[in-house]
Amino acid sequence: METQRLRGQSVRWQSAAAGQDSQGDSQPPSGYWHLTAGRASLLLERRALAVNLLLLALLLAASAAYLMAGSIPVSASELIRALAGDGEVVTAFVIHDLRLPRLAAAWLTGAAFAVAGCLMQTLARNRLATPGIIGIDNGATAFAVASVVGLGVSLAPPAMALTGAATAAAITFGLASGGDTRGYRFIVAGIGIGAVFGAVTQLLLARVPIDTANAAYPWTVGTLNARSGSAVSVLALGLAVGLPLALALGRSLSLMRFSDAVAAGLGVRLRRRRAQVLSLSVLLTALAVAVAGPVGMVGLIGPEIARSLSSSRGVPLAASALAGALVMVLADLAGRVLLAPIELPVGIVTAIVGGPWLLWILLRPASRRLS
Amino acid sequence: MAGVAAPLALHGRRSLAGMTALACVLLLLAVLASLLLGAGDVGPARALAVLLGAGDEEARFVVGSLRLPRTLIGIGVGLALAVSGALLQAVSRNPLAEPGLLGVSAGAAFAVGVALWLGASTATLRVAVGQLGALLGCAAVLSVVRLRGVGSDPVRLVLAGAALSALLASLTALLLLFDQRSADEIRFWVIGSLSGRRLEDLLAVLPSLALALGLTLWLARPLAALALGERVAAGLGHHPGRVRLLVVLAVALLVGAATAIAGPIAFVGLVVPFAARALAGPDIRRTLWLCLPLGPLMVLGADVAARLLVSPAEMPLGVLTALLGAPVLVAVVRARRLPTL
Amino acid sequence: MPRQPLFPPLMPSLRLLLGGASLVLALGAQAHSVETANGPVEVPESPERIVTLYEGALDAALATGRLPVAAVTTRGGDGVARYIESHLEAEHPGAELAIVGVVREINLEAVLAQRPDLILAAPQLSAEQYALLSRIAPTVVPEARPLAADNWEAEARLFGEALGQADAMEAAIAEVHERSAALAEALEEADGLGSANLIRWMPQGPMVMSERLFTSGLIAEAGLDLSDAGLVRDGVVHSDTLSLESLSRLDGDWLFLATLNEEGQEALDAARRSPAFARLPAVAADRVVPVDGQLWTSANGPLAALAILEELEAALLP
Repeated sequence: METQRLRGQSVRWQSAAAGQDSQGDSQPPSGYWHLTAGRASLLLERRALAVNLLLLALLLAASAAYLMAGSIPVSASELIRALAGDGEVVTAFVIHDLRLPRLAAAWLTGAAFAVAGCLMQTLARNRLATPGIIGIDNGATAFAVASVVGLGVSLAPPAMALTGAATAAAITFGLASGGDTRGYRFIVAGIGIGAVFGAVTQLLLARVPIDTANAAYPWTVGTLNARSGSAVSVLALGLAVGLPLALALGRSLSLMRFSDAVAAGLGVRLRRRRAQVLSLSVLLTALAVAVAGPVGMVGLIGPEIARSLSSSRGVPLAASALAGALVMVLADLAGRVLLAPIELPVGIVTAIVGGPWLLWILLRPASRRLS
Repeated sequence: MAGVAAPLALHGRRSLAGMTALACVLLLLAVLASLLLGAGDVGPARALAVLLGAGDEEARFVVGSLRLPRTLIGIGVGLALAVSGALLQAVSRNPLAEPGLLGVSAGAAFAVGVALWLGASTATLRVAVGQLGALLGCAAVLSVVRLRGVGSDPVRLVLAGAALSALLASLTALLLLFDQRSADEIRFWVIGSLSGRRLEDLLAVLPSLALALGLTLWLARPLAALALGERVAAGLGHHPGRVRLLVVLAVALLVGAATAIAGPIAFVGLVVPFAARALAGPDIRRTLWLCLPLGPLMVLGADVAARLLVSPAEMPLGVLTALLGAPVLVAVVRARRLPTL
Repeated sequence: MPRQPLFPPLMPSLRLLLGGASLVLALGAQAHSVETANGPVEVPESPERIVTLYEGALDAALATGRLPVAAVTTRGGDGVARYIESHLEAEHPGAELAIVGVVREINLEAVLAQRPDLILAAPQLSAEQYALLSRIAPTVVPEARPLAADNWEAEARLFGEALGQADAMEAAIAEVHERSAALAEALEEADGLGSANLIRWMPQGPMVMSERLFTSGLIAEAGLDLSDAGLVRDGVVHSDTLSLESLSRLDGDWLFLATLNEEGQEALDAARRSPAFARLPAVAADRVVPVDGQLWTSANGPLAALAILEELEAALLP
């Protein structure tokens, strides 16, 4: 998975170089590179490109640190040998079987949560409106916990989490249907449904012995420890489809940040676009929750970092994905090494980091763009 | 909803008195049901005999020492939650401003988690801790509202509350990772319930409850004036800033008291004022009046159901009210446009 | 190309397949097989470095005289359970158990860093964790059984077999039965027998513990007629928080009140303030015994059994 993503990024890098070469051919608007290949042409925003490259570089550096640090330290040369399929048995096991799958899960869930968050935030024009905050995660948690505590369900927890997120989203869509602006109804209905699922989770946890409650714990906080490989593959597939879709929706999205009348005047079919954006956001969240449990805070932090780095011209979806993956990798790295040998679940680390950030967003005077 | 309620509001005092009387009759029925029905072996007939002055010793004990205090506590909790919801919604001009949605429950749970972590024992954990946490949660969201001036935007306020709840829930989870004992015990605390509460618990919060209700009586008129706009209120001789501060104080006292006795119970503060506004119109004085019988009615009704649904055990009250409240929440947002008060 | 295993002691047991990064165990003739929840597992004849990821497994290993190298923390602390601690002080002074995580979050790398040759885990171990652990060392997971008072014996026997200490485990289990029989006899002589209930006290009311619990089985073996008054559903460890109105069904002569902290007396005082509790026959007769919930309602294994019997004896035979 990792190599796929790497390859995608290297294509971007090449096209940036190509853009530089072809700069003389046309006169792009300032701050952009104009890229032509045959009849296809592409406008690349320089700052966005620079931000993405910066985030990618940070992500790669963090990933290297992630692979090297832990209860069994691995030096850089050992790491390179292990990645090349060489090196000592134990090191190879640590890298290939323990850390790489976990790192891949961190990249994928971080990107999915952040893109989903960015989509919903842009739609609602509110930086607090992320799938995690409005309770999609709660549905996933309730179902996964039900599976762990053995309520006569045969599905594995990841599948149940996916079902739960989908159920919560479906109920919310159903309740919020009808002419709506900005998905407000969806948000409030989601919070209500989330409250109900939260109560159900508490009830389930109170009715089982502590050992079973312990087994359900990862699904109530979110962790990357020993995640299901098949859930990761499904998420990879979902991202492979969802990320291009999200990028394709990007233009409509950036227009939707204006008032409805302006967006409609610019040719955005508002109702349909909103439904598409919401569905995509919920789908990505559901797939990510099925892997890691509720780590909703990343959906808030990732886009926030991306926005603070990017210019105000577009919706920074690619940067959000990279920033989300970066946050996830750093948070899980911190969780693994800070209190070793005890591991902190990544959901708790993101909450501790994201908490003050959240308070700052809540408390600071009216923000620049979204609210 | 305001559109439906407005004509009703014109019906005048007689219809309000009629509705209040009807609500009181229903409340009496709920009280009766609460005394007669229970999860144990004492059935309605034996309990009725006790009420009529006869009855065996076991039934007298169950009705007098268990069901009567529980009923009184239910009335107190319902009153406090309903009135606090109505006040909060009036002062923020936001129909979704509900203590539970604003992170009060999460605040209470977090405070209890911290107390357990510091070594308190659940069995002896006194009300003050939950009350303090509820206050902090309430204060946090309300300060956000004041600072950002987003109080009147229903969605933003609720989002802020949800975000705060998520934050506090994560911090609680952090405590629980390290402390299995707390993890074991807090599971039972974070669910609101009237079971096992004693009359002394109610007596302990009675002063703050009385103070808050007195404050509410005094605040009703300024609040009604405030609903007409700050200038109008100021012109009528009220101080909007002071009124808001006092409302927040009253709400904190009420919610703290209710949470301290019964644990976090969501949505009562949303459902009851919603119903009261639908019946009596948007005037805060009329809404508050109708909240007085309707709040206890909802809590007692839900509590009786909680006792009967899974007898001989009990369903936690907080789960039932969440199930009742979520549809109302959706109904509020499904109204043609999001209403402001 | 020469490969240098990181840990020389593991060298004979590790083999690299297909040039990939799989760890595969190649056990010699001295291995034997045990039947686990995940099918038969080959374990070394006499494991040297045992990691226990379950309190019951730690208890079982110590009961056979083996000292694991690492374990997970118990509830309410950053170390092992109190009764395990005192056993360690008595039997293995100066021994240090490495901690490889909390029950809720096992640190797989820390487990690997211990170079285990045998891992003993809980029935609740998730499939994903098993997949990784079983590649680090043979991982023995007991079958998840429907709740029964003698489950601990089956688990202990499995762990004993895996440790190559089947005989020592039989002896440890037999000792538990001897001790409980002796206690039953002593109680009968002292006229201390009668009926009993085991509960936990929560603010909402009591929870009755199942008569199929490990501890309940021990109390019954010691001659007391322990019952859950039909309040606990099948296969569940404890009842839901009981309505105070149903409390009168707890009519045993003895009432064991488990708390998860050391302030048992405090919990008892809190319970006494409830009028429904004060009416119970055991309370009226002052036959309420506050006990350590960490030991009584969550531990399991031969050592825990002996510790419980000891507390039982101290409480009932003053």
